[in-house]
Amino acid sequence: MFCVDRRFFVNFDWVLLSLLFMVCGMAFLNLYSATYPPLGGMPPYLKQCYLLLMGVACIIFLISFDYKELQLWNYPIYIVTIVLLALVIFVGNSAGGAQRWINLGFFQLQPSEPAKLMMVITLASYYSRKEVANGYSIKDLITPIILMAVPFILILVQPDLGTALMFVIIFISMTVFAKLRWSSYIILGLSGIALAVVGWFFVLKPYQKQRVETLLHPVKDSMGEGYQILQSKIAVGSGGLFGRGYMEGTQGHLHFLPERHTDFAFSVWCEEWGFAGSFFFLAVYFFMLFWGLHVAMSARDRFGLFLAFGVVALIFWQAVINLLMILGFLPVVGIPLPLFSYGGSSLLTTLLGMGILMNVRMRRFQTESTLESCEL
Amino acid sequence: MIKWNFLKELGDISEHDQAALDGLRKRVLGTGAVVVFFVAIILLRLWFLQIHKGEEYKSRAENNRVRIREVAPPRGDILDRNGKELVTNRPSFNVVLVREDSNDIDGLLKRLSVVLKEDVSVLWERIRDAESKQRHIPVRLKENLSWDTLAYLETHNKDFPGIRIEVFPGRFYHYGDMAAHVIGYLGEISKNELEETNTDFYRGGDLVGKMGLEKLREKELRGEKGNSSSEVNARGFEQQLLTHVEPVPGNEVRLTLDIDLQKVAEESMDVDEKSGAVVAMEVKTGRILVLASTPRLHLADFDGGISSKNWSALLDNPKHPLINKALQAMYPPGSTYKMVTALAGLAKGVITKDTTFFCPGHIDFGNRQYNCWKHGGHGTVNLKRAISESCDVYFYQVGMRLGVDALAEYANKLGLGLKTQVELENEKSGLIPTKEWKKKKYGVKWQDGETLSLAIGQGFNLITPLQLCQMTVILANGGKRYVPQLIESVTDADGNVLESFTPKLAGELQENEKKYLTLIREGMVEVIQGARGTARVARIEGINMGGKTGSAQVVRLEQYKHLQEENIPYKYRDHALFICFAPADDPEIAVTVVVEHGLHGGSSAAPVAKAVMQKYFANRIAVDQIRKAVTPQ
Repeated sequence: MFCVDRRFFVNFDWVLLSLLFMVCGMAFLNLYSATYPPLGGMPPYLKQCYLLLMGVACIIFLISFDYKELQLWNYPIYIVTIVLLALVIFVGNSAGGAQRWINLGFFQLQPSEPAKLMMVITLASYYSRKEVANGYSIKDLITPIILMAVPFILILVQPDLGTALMFVIIFISMTVFAKLRWSSYIILGLSGIALAVVGWFFVLKPYQKQRVETLLHPVKDSMGEGYQILQSKIAVGSGGLFGRGYMEGTQGHLHFLPERHTDFAFSVWCEEWGFAGSFFFLAVYFFMLFWGLHVAMSARDRFGLFLAFGVVALIFWQAVINLLMILGFLPVVGIPLPLFSYGGSSLLTTLLGMGILMNVRMRRFQTESTLESCEL
Repeated sequence: MIKWNFLKELGDISEHDQAALDGLRKRVLGTGAVVVFFVAIILLRLWFLQIHKGEEYKSRAENNRVRIREVAPPRGDILDRNGKELVTNRPSFNVVLVREDSNDIDGLLKRLSVVLKEDVSVLWERIRDAESKQRHIPVRLKENLSWDTLAYLETHNKDFPGIRIEVFPGRFYHYGDMAAHVIGYLGEISKNELEETNTDFYRGGDLVGKMGLEKLREKELRGEKGNSSSEVNARGFEQQLLTHVEPVPGNEVRLTLDIDLQKVAEESMDVDEKSGAVVAMEVKTGRILVLASTPRLHLADFDGGISSKNWSALLDNPKHPLINKALQAMYPPGSTYKMVTALAGLAKGVITKDTTFFCPGHIDFGNRQYNCWKHGGHGTVNLKRAISESCDVYFYQVGMRLGVDALAEYANKLGLGLKTQVELENEKSGLIPTKEWKKKKYGVKWQDGETLSLAIGQGFNLITPLQLCQMTVILANGGKRYVPQLIESVTDADGNVLESFTPKLAGELQENEKKYLTLIREGMVEVIQGARGTARVARIEGINMGGKTGSAQVVRLEQYKHLQEENIPYKYRDHALFICFAPADDPEIAVTVVVEHGLHGGSSAAPVAKAVMQKYFANRIAVDQIRKAVTPQ
């Protein structure tokens, strides 16, 4: 099954690896500052080192076999993920708090993170298998909608509205990309609006509506979410052109900025490195995503293309939502900036996604026959 | 390698596929435009915040060395009608954790659990409850620290990063658990309550009223939060207090309850651990003077959240301490219902003052025999005697002539079967059956025999002790149905009276009905003062009283009939009821006592009412005795 020969090094995606290396490096630098001084226990940057090592192992594992295997294993992966999500609800604590983690002893696994990647694999697998000439009809979409709805509902009841909505976003991205008929757009659009209206009036709880409302009037709730967004904007804005200097940000170090090493990590970066540093980071980050699209275009088959596209979409939308939240355009929804925000499950999932991209890139020339020949 | 059969169709890439693949590649290129669009927005926004507004935000960051903190307001006191303090505040010291200030929560909690003498899992539970809250909002770990613990934590605060001490105004109950069901208790606001209240007032960990007036008057009692802002240094420690907005204390709520009477009532119920309810009302206003339900709740158990052990003990207690039996429990009215039958009979013209019936000890109706409690019979009785000796046959006769719907009409007029609208939760409306009701509920026609049982207060009838007291009030005051009220006044911290008691009339008998009440009261006075009255035990020297006993069948089981009363299992014994008012000629107070499974109104319920009356009239009785002593015979 392992295929180690000269082509491995020739075809390996060194560009993507370098970009990934740069992003993770900046994330590490930022994490060190955001969590300084350490408050006892294992410092987060050290934990991040272990996580990165685990991530490298994940990448090596993922590029060791042809990505085609993912399509074969798609349903087992799907079922295992669903079981994990269900486990979180039923086995998880019933004390009333949102239960999102499964304790693995050395590591708190948040199954909703790998579930996002699983969704990408599932949809890529479905759309690559089911090929339609003039776009998908509503009938064709029933299966993927159900496949999406199951994890969506399981995460919604945790309750984690932000992550659940990510599933809808991934679904829309990949489905629209796969091309729909005009009738499908209209029907999906209308039912989406209807669902949103019903959701607003009957499903959303007052505190969730309040989140949307605080976005519009942040001063009203100066200790809650409006506070977070305001502090984040102050942090970003005070960075100016060249920033306040590494480890010198007052917003982060004086603890005005909440969640400063997780969801609001990029605010710390903006504060300390300024517009110049933020521009540099975003340039590297989004070049990495563009490179991901390039990988998608160079894929050898439909599945590879969908897979690469889905991974890029997954990272892209999380990044956009997180950045717009930090910059005060969106409510606090709890979506991390992939690779940059501290959080094991998210980091490992994103690195697995990177592994998929590298895999697709490496095997862009391979055909069925060469695959068989290099099998050990 | 495992291959899944249903996916076997994976095949080689054909020409056609290649063309479709090229189409998709073009679409990938198109999505690049979406990425460019968002990158542009983000960069423009960054430009706006950092370059355009950079200086402004930089100065805001410089000034942002101010930390704002909420200051909890002292909750309003609760007083009794004479201004005696029932519930006031006592500060409690709580341990809170700010999660984002601690890196090693696990280790911290382990150390803390030793100091607090609390299991680590209990502390973790608290943190998990707050999981969805933002990490800079403090989570309360333990309430009511002792001075020793407090001193230790203060001196060793370097060892406990993220831990703070919070001063919280707790509640102190001056009269222990007296009137516990009326006062209610506080508890930490639940997730649901937090989500349902649309105000910005509450945060997780706040205490709110969970039961009784603490809950119903939450808005008045809670006050307004204050806040303080202070400067913090580079390590985040507070240096200097900048501004301080004093919290607005909650309003003082004065109840109509008389705590001394309440105490007498509850302590009399404690004798033999009676389970039941006592209600006393002012006849001319509807003020509630006593509202007791036993067994009592132990309010201190609820302080800082009731333990699951105590909670399940409450749930499992066969005497149901959680239920406020004065208004949340329903009982058959027994013979106290004969007042309704008497009034209906007089008003409908079925009987007059002088109508007599012969009581041979039973009456045959249909194919059944209906017994009087006195098997030998009462002989010839008129209304007054029928009331004072509680002759069942007399009221069978009256009920038979009235019919079920006429009885129901007058039961309603006396407030039975209707919610009294008292300001407490989950009041039961009781049940006064009509022909229509039975048809609807059981789909069967009303049997005339059932009217007979009804006329003496057995059968479908159900009332609450509070309704029964309201009925006594109506009988005593000449026909006015007042809403029973608990609030004497609400006063804010500056002494402004925001609300004060005014009697609320919910209904009134018509003039031609009112005139019969004198006669009924005379009968009721005979019950206590008469030579053959059924409640002579309640007699108080110097005070003329009127009353009525009742016992309500719980089950009609033949197997217990032959048993001595004390041998009947507790839960099958009859409920004992007693209603009374005094002074007889110009009534001021009405008292109702229900003792669950107390067998006889006269023996178990009447002494409780008597104790309350004695306390209420204590001064007058004393004056009366002195006068007697000094007046020569």
